[in-house]
Amino acid sequence: MSDATVNDAAKTTESTTSEPLGETYLDKFPAEAKVVRSALYSSFLALALGGLFGVIQTLHRTDFLRIMESETYYTVLTAHGVFLVIAFTIFFLVGVFTWAVTTSLDREVEDIRFTWAWLGTMTAGAAMAAAAILAGFTDSLDMSADVLFTFYAPMQAHPLFYLGLTVFVVGTWMAGADWFRSWFAWKKENPGERIPLPTFMVLTTMIMWYVATLGVATAILAFLLPWSLGLIDSVNPTLTRTLFWFFGHPVVYFWLMPAYMMWYVLLPKLSGGKLFSDPLARVVFVLFLLLSTPVGIHHQYLDPGISEGFKFIAMTNTMFLLLPSLLTAFTVVASMEHGARQRGGTGRIGWLKALPWRDPVFAGMALAGLMFAAGGFSGMINAGMNINYLVHNTLWVPGHFHLTVGTAVALTFMAASYWFIPQLTGKKLWNRPVALVQVVLWFVGMTFMANAMHRAGLLGMPRRTAEPQYDGFEYEAGVGSVAELDAQIALGGIILTLSLVLFFAVIIGTVLGSRSDEVPANGYADTLSGPEDSPKILDNLKLWFGLAVVLVIIAYTFPLLSIIERGGLFGPDITAFPQSIDIVSMAWLTVEQYATDTFTSATEVAQATIDGVLR
Amino acid sequence: MRISTEGLLIVLAFTVVLVVELRTVLAWFNLELTVFESLMFSVALIVAIVVWALFPQDGSRDTDASGSS
Amino acid sequence: MVLIVGIIATITYGTVGLGIAMVDDEEDTISPSELDEDERFSDPRVEQVGENEYEAYVVAQTFIYQPDPIEVPEDSEVTFYVTSRDVIHSFSLVGTNVNTMVVPGEVSSVTAEFDEPAEYGVICNEYCGSGHHDMEGMLYVVPEDEFDLTELSVTADDEVELGDDATFDVTVENGQLDDLETAIELEVGDETIEEDVTVPGDDTYETTLTVDSTDLGEGDHDWTVTVDDHTESGTLSVVEDLEDDEDDEDGGDDDE
Repeated sequence: MSDATVNDAAKTTESTTSEPLGETYLDKFPAEAKVVRSALYSSFLALALGGLFGVIQTLHRTDFLRIMESETYYTVLTAHGVFLVIAFTIFFLVGVFTWAVTTSLDREVEDIRFTWAWLGTMTAGAAMAAAAILAGFTDSLDMSADVLFTFYAPMQAHPLFYLGLTVFVVGTWMAGADWFRSWFAWKKENPGERIPLPTFMVLTTMIMWYVATLGVATAILAFLLPWSLGLIDSVNPTLTRTLFWFFGHPVVYFWLMPAYMMWYVLLPKLSGGKLFSDPLARVVFVLFLLLSTPVGIHHQYLDPGISEGFKFIAMTNTMFLLLPSLLTAFTVVASMEHGARQRGGTGRIGWLKALPWRDPVFAGMALAGLMFAAGGFSGMINAGMNINYLVHNTLWVPGHFHLTVGTAVALTFMAASYWFIPQLTGKKLWNRPVALVQVVLWFVGMTFMANAMHRAGLLGMPRRTAEPQYDGFEYEAGVGSVAELDAQIALGGIILTLSLVLFFAVIIGTVLGSRSDEVPANGYADTLSGPEDSPKILDNLKLWFGLAVVLVIIAYTFPLLSIIERGGLFGPDITAFPQSIDIVSMAWLTVEQYATDTFTSATEVAQATIDGVLR
Repeated sequence: MRISTEGLLIVLAFTVVLVVELRTVLAWFNLELTVFESLMFSVALIVAIVVWALFPQDGSRDTDASGSS
Repeated sequence: MVLIVGIIATITYGTVGLGIAMVDDEEDTISPSELDEDERFSDPRVEQVGENEYEAYVVAQTFIYQPDPIEVPEDSEVTFYVTSRDVIHSFSLVGTNVNTMVVPGEVSSVTAEFDEPAEYGVICNEYCGSGHHDMEGMLYVVPEDEFDLTELSVTADDEVELGDDATFDVTVENGQLDDLETAIELEVGDETIEEDVTVPGDDTYETTLTVDSTDLGEGDHDWTVTVDDHTESGTLSVVEDLEDDEDDEDGGDDDE
């Protein structure tokens, strides 16, 4: 267990870092560091591609620069969504989780080959899905997956897309198994000990993930994949949509939990103090485990075929999800204040000045947390059943999630990278001022973009469209004009791109640098109120798992049954768009034909040989 | 310098948020600024902050502002 | 905690108290491949169902809405029934809270009140394919006196023999519940025939107007039937000798 850095931090003056130097993660766990590094590099690749597609579509939809046909916009949008929210976030978090488990249990992974195996599986899956999406850019391949991140049937993607997603998710399941395995082994050696907080966070998050991915696994394996292969003719769009959101909401917490973990275990340390309360942190993660999944229907307030009662249950659960987030806000700010006061900060507001703002890791995370507060408020608006009518599927929604996943998560991850990459490479951060400018630019860029997106959404401007300019009518802007909003979105997009470029400059600069012994020691924040203060029941993962399942059953059994009762398992004769069935089944036939031919000729050859031998 | 360069950067970042949101907020009070007006206002505000930050002070007093971090 | 319960209570009041109905599972399912046989959706339209109450049956498909434009009178309460022929769309009146997903196999129903004449853009805000951004329609809320649900159709001879009567079978359908007092006016060549009619609410009036072809003379004659703002037109040929095949086809083109 690492120590907090209270006194050292207070003494540190204008030196390079406020953290003590010492044994890095690379020194301690060289093999694991390699895995984590690979995971992070994969995520950065996804971030680079996703970011590139992001700026292309920003300029396209605001009509500042259109370098492609509007039809292609949707391929770009699919790639932007899937690369960023699936590949970037999840590759990053498996790296962080591996760091958290090994560091906090202070033990190596049980079998490094297995660890590589799950990372390999995830990479293979991501590559398959990416190939299917990117093939949409060329007409020479009869393959596309322009179905966006939500892949609502009857939109159909190439089977490779669904298969890739499945393989990717299976990889994450294996990763979870790896961490549980570490914990079981650790528990055997340390009977009766409390689960260290970071490991606790990983395990609860993974349980949530296992429960949540059941939805998407069912949707893909039972319906969408066989359908795209032409094995079944039709699907029930409401059913696959509901199963998607069964997964689609908890997945946002899957992205957010690692960011929360960073705020809980790194931020207090960086601000020079301790985590305010260990029990509170555990409560928060347990609440997320319990409440993340039975809320998915709040994405379907406007769906026909789902009764108002089910929607109301989802809303109630959603509102209670505010609780752990509000608790987090409180705990994290309290921890930061504690740190600041340790550093000599005084006054009611004055302590803010004593925070280590020049540290890009701290500044990035703090700014991300702040934006998350704004995102949380717009999220509450989304979650209200009635007001949702006004904003559903408008640009308000992307405005909201660019604050949450696009800043709270992405900016935290980028800031955390400035801490992790030195840990994993033993190299000093290439340029701290540039890194600081980078995180601040992200904050500023997102301010412009998200503000304008929210406002445009209130005017009714739709999301997910290449050309939000219509022939028949014009939007009535309450304040300013649509042109201004477009300009603001484009400006934000450009600043964000610039920020990304700087991010990669810093990362590449760091990686290409040489080993340094000025890297701070590996570790995480100590707590003011430790695990000894938290009730033992909090560590009873079986109980929470059971409860989570029960809540999911309560929230989903009846909606799912009613959807199946209404539309049938396979829906009322739904045709796929675009129809890749024909192509695939034709390809399948060709393969079959080919196989049969080969087999026949092989038999003939064999027969001839046998005949020859016999003679 | 009254505050550190980094501090100034952060303060300016927050100013951007303030300025971007201000137009909407003022519209609530029926005070509609044009883009040009709000641009002018923000430039003025930023210049004011920068001038304030760069204004030399007699270093003897102040201990917490520039010395932090 | 209290705060959260408070929020839920507020929203519940805001929803139930104000009588805002959610899109829900009240409507029966429908097979998207059988829309053409469906009583409501085979002919997407607006129908009056009560005083100031209307129902609009709308079909969304890649990448249009039917009917388009939708026209409803001011001071009305309109329930939209929307379904999809293919993929998931939405039916969203820009800048209002009339906004619903449109899922194939399901019928979404949304009720809205329109107090004043206005124009609303109807857009699809759920990605529905490569032409998604072109999917738009219009909703016009028109002053009451400009609104009707009258449908006019005319079946007329193409050709008549000089001396015979040319017949025009006129059907006026009144989709509104109030009686429609109007006049049917037929202009053919230089002849004009007018007939004052009263079409009962939600009913159809049929009449046959005849013109002596001798009055018209030999040759092609353009004709127009007008009822209020609705017109049907075509061309009648008066010939010396009718060839023996009995062409009795619809001479009107459906422009209603």
